[in-house]
Amino acid sequence: MDPAKEQNSQALVLSEDIYNGITELIQDLSASTGAKSVVFCESNGYAVTQVGTIKGLDLPAIASLAANNFSATARMADMLGEKSSFKYLYHEGDNINLYISNVGFDFILLVIFEVDVALGMVRIYTKKTINALAGLLQSASHKDAQAKQFLDAEFKNLLSEELNRSLNF
Amino acid sequence: MFINRALQEISFKIVYYGPGLSGKTTNLEYIHRHLAPSMRSDLVTLNTREERTLYFDFMQLELGRIKGQKPRFNLYTVPGQVYYRFSRKIILKGVDGLVFVADSQRSRMGENLDSLLDLERNLIEMGFSLETFPWVIQYNKRDLRDVETIETMQAKLNFFGTAHFEAVAPNGTEVLSTLKTIITNVITKLELVA
Repeated sequence: MDPAKEQNSQALVLSEDIYNGITELIQDLSASTGAKSVVFCESNGYAVTQVGTIKGLDLPAIASLAANNFSATARMADMLGEKSSFKYLYHEGDNINLYISNVGFDFILLVIFEVDVALGMVRIYTKKTINALAGLLQSASHKDAQAKQFLDAEFKNLLSEELNRSLNF
Repeated sequence: MFINRALQEISFKIVYYGPGLSGKTTNLEYIHRHLAPSMRSDLVTLNTREERTLYFDFMQLELGRIKGQKPRFNLYTVPGQVYYRFSRKIILKGVDGLVFVADSQRSRMGENLDSLLDLERNLIEMGFSLETFPWVIQYNKRDLRDVETIETMQAKLNFFGTAHFEAVAPNGTEVLSTLKTIITNVITKLELVA
């Protein structure tokens, strides 16, 4: 099975140490660039963490839109004969700019910054952060065994009860 | 599936698939209306000017903690029209469970079958098959005139005998049962794998 298929069929597990490391690195990136917000998400659209000053950001929705945006351009890269996906996307607004980069195969980084922040600076610091994140994430694993600990019959029964309660059955 | 051990979150991706205008978006709209705001994200829709799904719809359902874990379900629809096949492949990436929403109108049987075969082709490319993947089938629009019988739809579409539902999505008939069953099927599959 090729790596893409293998990763599609297994859980991606992020440990507490890696999560804390990610948070620290994106906090540094946010401080270095003066970004309004930095969002880190998984490439299938799961939000991981966010730092910054934007209040009330719908993190699940932003992560989903960014991941699918990135996947769509990866498909275009493939159609255009690029061997790997485009490394970043840049969207320029009247007040806010958005810089989206892939971090390896599994993750995406979003830097949201005001238009008076220099793009070159954002690119330089983001590249440094991506290199540091890539090193940190080497130990993030695709292991079903990690899920085994709590995904059992008891979990399924409790989930069923919670669904009945939440969905008002 | 994505597990964040620091936040004790476990996230799953459920995709609503089916031909154009079968009611996939209507399913998500009903679920979104029915859930308490604290349990869901915004409903994101990416539509054409004609209000048809251009890329996908998205919402997240978040449940209370179970055995210390917070389960989250990212619900997506795909655009049903034949020419959006690349968009559908992108949305399927990382999928954990599928709801196939079929249009019960007799005149739409061809589109239902084409869409189901398109889904199976895409799953095979990803290394899966409907034979073993967690999925359910929803026969929607049961309130319309000139609908196909359930027996015929079962024979034509449900060739692997998965759970099926007779739905009227705008008023919520069987919408939540469909959702609950696919979530349960996803967990059952993982429990068996584990």
